Amino acid sequence: MFEFLPQLLLEPFATQSMTRAILVSGMIGGVCGCLSCFITLKGWSLMGDALAHAIVPGVVLAGLAGIPFAAGAFVAGLLAAGTMGYVKAHTRIREDAVIGIVFTAFFAAGILLITLFPSNINLRTIIFGNILGMADADIVQMIVISAVTMLILLAKWKDLLLMLFDREHAKAAGLNVTALHFTLLTLLAATAVAALQTVGACLVVGMLVTPGATAYLLTDRFGRMLIIATLLGMICAFVGGYISYFLNGSTGGAIVVLQTLVFLVALFFAPKHGIIASRLKIQRAGDASDLRLTEQVEIKPIAAVKM
Amino acid sequence: MLNTLIEPFTYPFMREALLVAVLVGTICAMLSCYLILKGWALMGDAVSHAVFPGVVLAYVLGLPLAVGAFAAGFFCAGATGWIKSNSRVKEDTIMGIVFTGMFAMGLVMYTKIDTNIHLNHILFGSLLGIERSDLIQAVVVSVVVLLVLIVKRRDLMLFCFDQNHARTIGMNTTMLHYLLLAILAATIVAALQAVGIILTVAMLITPGCVAYQLSDRFERMMLIAVASSIFSSVFGVYISYFIDGGTGACIVLTQSALFVIAMFLGPKRGVVWTYLARA
Repeated sequence: MFEFLPQLLLEPFATQSMTRAILVSGMIGGVCGCLSCFITLKGWSLMGDALAHAIVPGVVLAGLAGIPFAAGAFVAGLLAAGTMGYVKAHTRIREDAVIGIVFTAFFAAGILLITLFPSNINLRTIIFGNILGMADADIVQMIVISAVTMLILLAKWKDLLLMLFDREHAKAAGLNVTALHFTLLTLLAATAVAALQTVGACLVVGMLVTPGATAYLLTDRFGRMLIIATLLGMICAFVGGYISYFLNGSTGGAIVVLQTLVFLVALFFAPKHGIIASRLKIQRAGDASDLRLTEQVEIKPIAAVKM
Repeated sequence: MLNTLIEPFTYPFMREALLVAVLVGTICAMLSCYLILKGWALMGDAVSHAVFPGVVLAYVLGLPLAVGAFAAGFFCAGATGWIKSNSRVKEDTIMGIVFTGMFAMGLVMYTKIDTNIHLNHILFGSLLGIERSDLIQAVVVSVVVLLVLIVKRRDLMLFCFDQNHARTIGMNTTMLHYLLLAILAATIVAALQAVGIILTVAMLITPGCVAYQLSDRFERMMLIAVASSIFSSVFGVYISYFIDGGTGACIVLTQSALFVIAMFLGPKRGVVWTYLARA
């Protein structure tokens, strides 16, 4: 049995479409992972979820009109974001509810369009993504979107970071925060299009928050967090795509399950911010204070500082 | 002409669909008033997606699907709360992680097992093809939720408006928190049949927002929300018969249209009036 093992393990790479699907998933996973650091810090997960659903009518219409679906999706995403801004400015409704109203309306419109005009984009594509059925033109679109997103993130990450942490400070330092806000929104819309293809509309938000949150548990430095999240996103998407060949099942499901498992591992075992580490820390602090009470000796504060 | 217009009502399946749509619309609308006041829109989104693995697992184990859905919904909310109190990650991010993780698990399980649950029915609802047992289940769950919402309406209102005040006057806010979560999960179970997992969140947000635009009093807000939701349910089912489009999508789009009308033409806060007053 074991002599077949290498052959079995390499089997997914035997067909060109599967190899391509795994590589493209890995690439998109990396881009989403990088962006996820900004999304988690900004608290925009609902926004990511909303945009992933709101681009569906754009995808359907673009498919019917025969134009690149990324273009349609992108326009729909920006339109949804604009509508949210308008409704929020003109009503007293809380932002989360506004986002909810707008994205469900867009998504319902998309589903209605699908049921009314059957085309090559069906409900299954929207739920599962379509990584195996991508045409060459789609893959070129994905590569362009990913490359441009990564370039902008690499060029602007310090500005974006400053804006996310301290908007007022960023403004005082002479940054154009409105432009940065829209840059981030645009990148989010563009990435959501790519992720929709990979994992389907419902799981996009997983790709857009989980790697960032995992990295946030592992490090305190933003630069390092970016690197960890990008690598995690890439590896999970790559491995998830690979495993889904053997499961003969949903690629998106496998990728996001894997990302969630990695998050859970980090949640418990992260060296500094993991649950086990903090429980131990509390225990040790408890022991130290007992010592102080019983022996009445002065303990140097170094121990406390270290903790 | 008249015959064409009343034609939908002559079919039993249309009458059943209307009954379920109206019931589900009512409880969703009542709940939506609490959810938008509490800022729980994302919670509705998360729990509605998270019930999916529960449905699949219940099918595998041979349990009623509603039981699995309820347990999964509750688990999602519980896990979010637990991770939040044990890590430094923000709550909205945690919700995103938990519900996508669960939904992804559901998808993987679904593709691995051989089921007769039609994926589209769970995800997009199947109001027009509702089975007798599902119908009874939806009616029972709706009535129970309705009763709880009516009996506990004052407590829940205070809890949503001002949690600290509720605690100060001696209410058990933890209990109310879980009660609201349980109501949410149960409502989603009932709404699954009507509009499916994916559009349930619209039923849980939009009616409350329509009403919030039109009224300052909570009781009136609730009545308006229920009325707008029932109208949308009936109109959505009715229109979907003629255009042969997704029923859930038609209901949600009707609600969105009502919201647009309320936003622009609401007597007190309509955008049009403020605009005219300024001009």
